[in-house]
Amino acid sequence: MMKLLDISKKYGEITHKYPFEPYKVAENFRGKPAYVYDLCIGCAACGVACPSNAITVQFNENKSKLVWEFDCGRCIFCGRCDEVCPTGAIKLSEEFELAVKFDKSAMIQRGELEVQCCSECGKPFSAKRLVKYSLECLSKANLGEKRLEEAKSYVSVCPTCKKTATVANFTAGKEMVIE
Amino acid sequence: MKCDKFIEALGQRVKILEVTRQYEDQVTALVELNDLPEAVRFLYYDMGGYLSTMIPNDERSINKHYALYYALSMEGGKMFEGDEIAQDEKCFVTVKVLISPESLVFPSVTPLVPACVWYEREAYDMFGLIAEGLPDKRRLVLSDDWPDNLFPLRKDAMDYRYRPDMKEHYMEPEYDFLRPEGSGIIDVPLGPLHITADEPGHFRLYCDGDTIIDADYRLFYQHRGMEKLAENRMNYDQMGYLAERVCGICGYAHAIACIEAAEKAINLEIPARAQAIRIVCSEIERLHSHLLNIGLACEVTGNYNAFMHIFRIREYSMKLAELVTGGRKTYGNVVMGGLRRDMTGQEIKESLRILHIIETQVEEVWDAVMDDQRQMKRWKGVGILDKQVARDFSPVGPNIRGSGIKRDTRYDHPYDFFKQVKFDVAVVEGGDVFAREMVRYMELKSSVSIIRQCFELMPQTAIIVDPKFHVKPENYSLAYVEAPRGENVHWIMQGSAQKVYRWRCRAATYNNWPSLRFQFRGNTIADAALIVCSLDPCYSCTERVTVVDVRSKKSKILTHNDLKAFSQTLKNSPMKDLK
Ligand code: SF4
Ligand code: SF4
Repeated sequence: MMKLLDISKKYGEITHKYPFEPYKVAENFRGKPAYVYDLCIGCAACGVACPSNAITVQFNENKSKLVWEFDCGRCIFCGRCDEVCPTGAIKLSEEFELAVKFDKSAMIQRGELEVQCCSECGKPFSAKRLVKYSLECLSKANLGEKRLEEAKSYVSVCPTCKKTATVANFTAGKEMVIE
Repeated sequence: MKCDKFIEALGQRVKILEVTRQYEDQVTALVELNDLPEAVRFLYYDMGGYLSTMIPNDERSINKHYALYYALSMEGGKMFEGDEIAQDEKCFVTVKVLISPESLVFPSVTPLVPACVWYEREAYDMFGLIAEGLPDKRRLVLSDDWPDNLFPLRKDAMDYRYRPDMKEHYMEPEYDFLRPEGSGIIDVPLGPLHITADEPGHFRLYCDGDTIIDADYRLFYQHRGMEKLAENRMNYDQMGYLAERVCGICGYAHAIACIEAAEKAINLEIPARAQAIRIVCSEIERLHSHLLNIGLACEVTGNYNAFMHIFRIREYSMKLAELVTGGRKTYGNVVMGGLRRDMTGQEIKESLRILHIIETQVEEVWDAVMDDQRQMKRWKGVGILDKQVARDFSPVGPNIRGSGIKRDTRYDHPYDFFKQVKFDVAVVEGGDVFAREMVRYMELKSSVSIIRQCFELMPQTAIIVDPKFHVKPENYSLAYVEAPRGENVHWIMQGSAQKVYRWRCRAATYNNWPSLRFQFRGNTIADAALIVCSLDPCYSCTERVTVVDVRSKKSKILTHNDLKAFSQTLKNSPMKDLK
């Protein structure tokens, strides 16, 4: 018993002053994912990787926007989204104070991206930024002039129209030559 | 090869229909339904096995039958010196039977091997398989108002999102507690909910005066249906995270066990560095879990001073986890094929510094606790787990090692990096609370040394192999990890399309509950919470007591305030109007 009291004396007061002083977390702490809207291209890689479906990337009802949505209440802070994001738009932060007062909607974060419509059928199929990003990547990929021109037209065609076009070309006997 | 010896011996006892090998140390023998009890008993008692898990499975889509898999860890009875199987012969032997969907009946093994009791009760709850001859046929997992004839883990039973309507509380059927005969016995219920308890569970203590004569309990208030959820909508990437959330304290051990079961089923070897870091993280988990339990064992007996000191030290282990994995509790770094996060030299250096602090301070505080005679008196001779009871019920972890039985998965079936690491298994004789806490203290020290050895020995390899693998439907495998509370066993049968067909997750405490009843007997009510705590799901319950007078069959609920008021003033006895 006395020994325990001696130990108390030896180590003194160790209680942290938190919340009156900030609490410093370790480097590489896995806190709340922080989202940078300006960097997000709407590729949905994070939504696919997220094991707990905290992130969804979907069109809104009238398909005028592509909505990136993050529900912090579902997040398990695994960092998969951080790993897969091609542009670094989502990164785990050091934030751990996540309580909200009664209002669960305060845990939801959204980003609305402009949609890209298909140049053939006119239906929206992706985000404008994603199309732009694909082109940027392609232009850095050392492709020939002609090939790049072609790419410009086919990145803005939706998958359904691409499929129909391929089938049509194929049945018409035209072959696509990739240089 | 490993296991062959046991299969041969089994073959002379009963007719074996088929033998399949899942992994180098795992084989399955299919036997006739009628031979099941004898086959399991023979392996358990005659060949030195312990029951690791039992898996009921709905295989109607595969072979038109239900199947049961009794997985035994062959390691020796360990009841006396030398009663142990040679290190290179230890293995897992599974006894499998098929049950026709028309009869749904199988002969119960429990009368011969008591360790099976919970598993066979669960087989009825989840699959509707009836154990003929099972002495205790009450519900185990599902609530008492669950509809009859709805067996959730059958493949065609229900959607995983479906929740049957609850009955109104007054319509709810009574749970049948096993009550000992005799007059003057008082029921003292503990739980199900208590403000300081981590988990709900209802204990019914039968007391004569202050002494507990017998006890019964009802658990599974928190059954979350994770197995069903995983089978229905998860892939292997997601399952690891779900498994980590099985337990609020030793979840990492579940994550490794789950992922390793999937890896073993396809024979995937992970890089040595990943193995070492998995061990490092699981030993960090052991540090914080054992410190938690030793602290609580002091707290339950009123020694707040020691409790605070132990928790002060525990904070270092939480910090250590945060440093190494980025999270204090969920480490989230296990994926199939290896790990997602490596350790840097800087992190290793800092970890060694923290380990040194933990090591010296734990020693200091433990020394002070041992010095305290009042604390020792509360721990010694309380909640004894008899060695023979332990042999019969297959408990795991510090619970059985405190009864002088040297069972430790890290030693018996070394997994991952444990093949390279040296450590002494902590075994203490006595079987009381003190012995169990002593085991935990010794393990704190060995954990520190294991982590240091891992840092020294781990090679500079990649931490993940390309997880391009072919999952073979119907392959299955066991994986085992020594969690702080004992061996966790996961069993995975793979299905098509990256999904699991069946996932059976058996947490350490599942094997520790059935023998708790024997640990209660002969102790006082005041020690009940301590005994439960020393198993390591901690519990205390003095806030709300139902007093039942058996003779007049009247009962009354006393609140904390009633009790306190009466204790302070000794006026208005709450027992008065019961007489
Ligand atoms: S941290 Fe994990 S759970 Fe949270 S949003 Fe990212 S991927 Fe999803
Ligand atoms: S850019 Fe990053 S944050 Fe945006 S959708 Fe893709 S992965 Fe998610």
